[in-house]
Amino acid sequence: MSDTKTLAPAPPRDAPAPRPPTARRSGSRRLEEITKILFVVPAGLAIVALFGYPVVKNVVMGFQDYGLKTFFTGKAPFVGLSNYVAVVSDDVFSKAVVNTALFTLGSILGQFVIGMLLALFFHQSFPLNGVLRALFLLPWLLPLIVGSAAWRAILEQDSGILNVTLQNLGVIDGPVPWLTSPSVALVSVILVNIWLGIPFNLTLLYSGLQAIPDELYEAGALDGATGWRAFWSITWPNLRAVVSVVLMLGVIYTLKVLDIILGLTQGGPANATQTIALQSYQRSFVEFKFGQGAALSNILIVISLAFAIIYLRVNRRQVDE
Amino acid sequence: MITKLVSKRVATFAALAALAPLSLAACGGGSSGSSGGDASATVDTLKVLDYYTDEPGKTQIGDMLTACGTSIGVGTIEREAVPGPTLIQKVLQQASSKSLPDVLMLDNPDIQQIADTGALAPLGDFGITADGYAPGPVAAATGADGKLYGLQPGANTIAIFYRKDVLEKAGVTPPTTWAELRTAAKKLTVGKQYGFAFNATADYEGAWQFLPAMWSNGGDETDLKTPQVAGALQLWKDLVDDGSASKSVVNWKQSDVNDQFIAGNAAMMLNGPWQEPALDKAKVDYGVVPFPVDQAGQASVAPLGGEAWTVPMTGDQAKMAKAAELVKCMNTDANQLLRAKQGGLVPTKLALADQFKTEVPKMAGFTDAVAQARARTGKLGAKWPDTAKIIYTGVQLVLTGQAAPADAMAKAGG
Amino acid sequence: MSAIVSKGQARHARGPVRTAIAIVLLALLLFPVYWMLNISLQPSGNALSGTFFPTHPSLDGYRAAIADQGGHLVISLVIASGTVVLSLLVAAPCAYALAQFRFRWISWALLAILISQMIPSIVIANALYTAYERIGLLDSIPGLIVVNSASGIPFGILIMRSFMLGVPPSIVEAARVDGAGLVRAFLSIVVPISRNSLITAGLFAFLFAWSDFIYALTLTTKGQVVPVTLGIYTYLGAHIANWSAVMATAVLASLPAIVLLVVAQRYISAGATGGAVK
Repeated sequence: MSDTKTLAPAPPRDAPAPRPPTARRSGSRRLEEITKILFVVPAGLAIVALFGYPVVKNVVMGFQDYGLKTFFTGKAPFVGLSNYVAVVSDDVFSKAVVNTALFTLGSILGQFVIGMLLALFFHQSFPLNGVLRALFLLPWLLPLIVGSAAWRAILEQDSGILNVTLQNLGVIDGPVPWLTSPSVALVSVILVNIWLGIPFNLTLLYSGLQAIPDELYEAGALDGATGWRAFWSITWPNLRAVVSVVLMLGVIYTLKVLDIILGLTQGGPANATQTIALQSYQRSFVEFKFGQGAALSNILIVISLAFAIIYLRVNRRQVDE
Repeated sequence: MITKLVSKRVATFAALAALAPLSLAACGGGSSGSSGGDASATVDTLKVLDYYTDEPGKTQIGDMLTACGTSIGVGTIEREAVPGPTLIQKVLQQASSKSLPDVLMLDNPDIQQIADTGALAPLGDFGITADGYAPGPVAAATGADGKLYGLQPGANTIAIFYRKDVLEKAGVTPPTTWAELRTAAKKLTVGKQYGFAFNATADYEGAWQFLPAMWSNGGDETDLKTPQVAGALQLWKDLVDDGSASKSVVNWKQSDVNDQFIAGNAAMMLNGPWQEPALDKAKVDYGVVPFPVDQAGQASVAPLGGEAWTVPMTGDQAKMAKAAELVKCMNTDANQLLRAKQGGLVPTKLALADQFKTEVPKMAGFTDAVAQARARTGKLGAKWPDTAKIIYTGVQLVLTGQAAPADAMAKAGG
Repeated sequence: MSAIVSKGQARHARGPVRTAIAIVLLALLLFPVYWMLNISLQPSGNALSGTFFPTHPSLDGYRAAIADQGGHLVISLVIASGTVVLSLLVAAPCAYALAQFRFRWISWALLAILISQMIPSIVIANALYTAYERIGLLDSIPGLIVVNSASGIPFGILIMRSFMLGVPPSIVEAARVDGAGLVRAFLSIVVPISRNSLITAGLFAFLFAWSDFIYALTLTTKGQVVPVTLGIYTYLGAHIANWSAVMATAVLASLPAIVLLVVAQRYISAGATGGAVK
């Protein structure tokens, strides 16, 4: 009993929930079942049309020799698993897998923690709260084309404002090779991605906090739950459904991040920021080996799928509780 | 090359651009569909696709196309210009929906890959030859089957740009050998000013910029594990290790290099004539010399840049014949000279060289270089991209200290 | 965190301090945005030679940007607004159904929605191009609205569902007892209670569409429908040496969205759900 349903202070939640056939009002039951289905029909159609077909196509393409010639001849012979063999046996693949894991983990951790702290902070009331919070969403609005250009200027090793400032403040002795050293570049790319992801986390977590009734805190305060204790015993449990969605989506979105890395480093220096998504892009749209690109994006989808299943497991447990 | 290299910067920032789709069909409708057609039928319109989206090139090319259209009796030229990094994707879309343009402009290293798919018509079918052209452009446009698929009116390459005032003040003359380059660059490195700037990014641009050093030193793309190639890598490494070039070169596109040069952060740079409008606008006082050689007596070999006009296989014989005439018109002596002057290019017909040098003395250095310029796809054809990937990876491995020059290319997959 | 509990008690005393902290945090986070603004005002047009402050600000970049990009901003606005409407119309009922109706296949539906989130947008654009060509949606605003909803709909379902799980069935039941049908109960009870989540989902749908670049690039071919992201892209090609104009366009492109954000945030902070549940 820890998901957001517990928010409802009212009657036992099971009582009125529409039940399968045996329940009340048998006359309109059939009509009601149809109405219920109609609630999901438009979304169902949209998902099949906008996602179903592309997925199927991508899966098929992963087994085809789909290259430049295919566009002119229309021929894409099936080649079994050779696309998968080719991409997995590439030296860069293992590096890309590790980088993808680090990039995702680092980004999610940073975005979530900072987003959560900011959400809690803004959950307090103070003048200009709404306006300031709205401005926190700004990173989202910048066209990525321009955002990454601005970041590149800032992170420039010699004349970039970040190194210049840090040196003036005496924080560092020499310039940090933000984007030019293989050992630092991945960290920089993660930092920029965290920056981009904060608005997403802040907005959703804040809305989640808003949905927790004040009464719970008032009741908690009577039991001596304040500060961190209130957070762990009231906020966190009630926020869990939102948190799991935020983390789930965060992982899925981060796994397929491409534009930021391309804009900042193109996978360099020396493949230090290669990820599976970037590899997929490069196979398809730089080398025009579309079959191999599809194979890589299918691998990526399977990894995402693993996370989705974990999420659903957790979620179902909550529903069943 | 001009527009393409410039807009490759764009590609980085607008990464998604290049993600253009596979099965995307045509733009602009199928006026030249695969309907076959009578070779003698009259042709009113021709569809043209190129990547000259930047002014003034956009208008200049448009005017030239219109004038050529008129001269061959085609009233309307339906021209479309797309950003450089999206051109190939556009061509693929159009190919899959059978709506290729009648005339297609391609960057020279792309010609062989596209020709290899069977999408282009051999120009010999229309009686066009490349007699009298510099060898580079011909090699770039000649497919594996030995047939000519494109005509390139103007060419360019990369060379050393230097700030005249800065070198003068430091008492440095423009380098002609690698040793001089190192000494000069070191001497010119003062404060926030680096002596030299180049591009070593993880993309085809980074490979392209490495070629002058590699080729001049006798290195060859068919075997990257030679001492000659390693020697060229060593030069790049030395320049960075000396502190004469920024470690950031691994992340600088050619346009970034130019920005650095304009901002006074570099006294010399490796770049191409397409940067000149920006340099002139910023009122930089610069000179240009060919890329130096390792030992005096070696020949400086420059990589060939520039775009060619091709005739795609649309199936409409009458239109294809007219399209070939248009390609021919874009390559007349007069148009080669005009385009060269407009676009910072060098005419590809060798006979025009002397006249051009007289008319545009500041391009003299480039003119000689282009006559000998080597095409990236000259030896490897459609396999060039795979090798280019190894080259830029190898360069990055060396510059980031992940591999020694001698075994970098092997480590990069060569 | 203590403030969560003490909400209301020390509110007045601590308010201004918190505002100050928020402003500092904001300044840190928005530094790249400031840097854009700074570059956009630099007269040199070079991203490197700029100073920390635009000591001699020049509006040349803005003049160029407004002249070239004004129309594209309007198109972006129309597309983003349309995407919000379409996404919410489709996603809200579905989110409610998945939150409150006891369908047996809910897990599968959620899985499908999650999978849809994993598909790189380029894969979608590929597949839709041919379909769009056939039904005439290429180069059209409705076409872009539909495809941008591909981001907004599944996302909206997930977000709204997680909020609607908290809507007490008792409230809906009460309306049903009064004779309201499922649809009416949904519209008159669930939607108002869930206003927060609808606005949140709508906000994100807007942002997805507003920042979309790839669909605009791939599903328009003739240069008739040009959202501002695409405008900036072609602009970058043409004005690569003039960073001021590019950054000015980016700043201008952010303005309408900022206004909308500020307005939407008011609604979110109104805390409608909390009130209704109580």
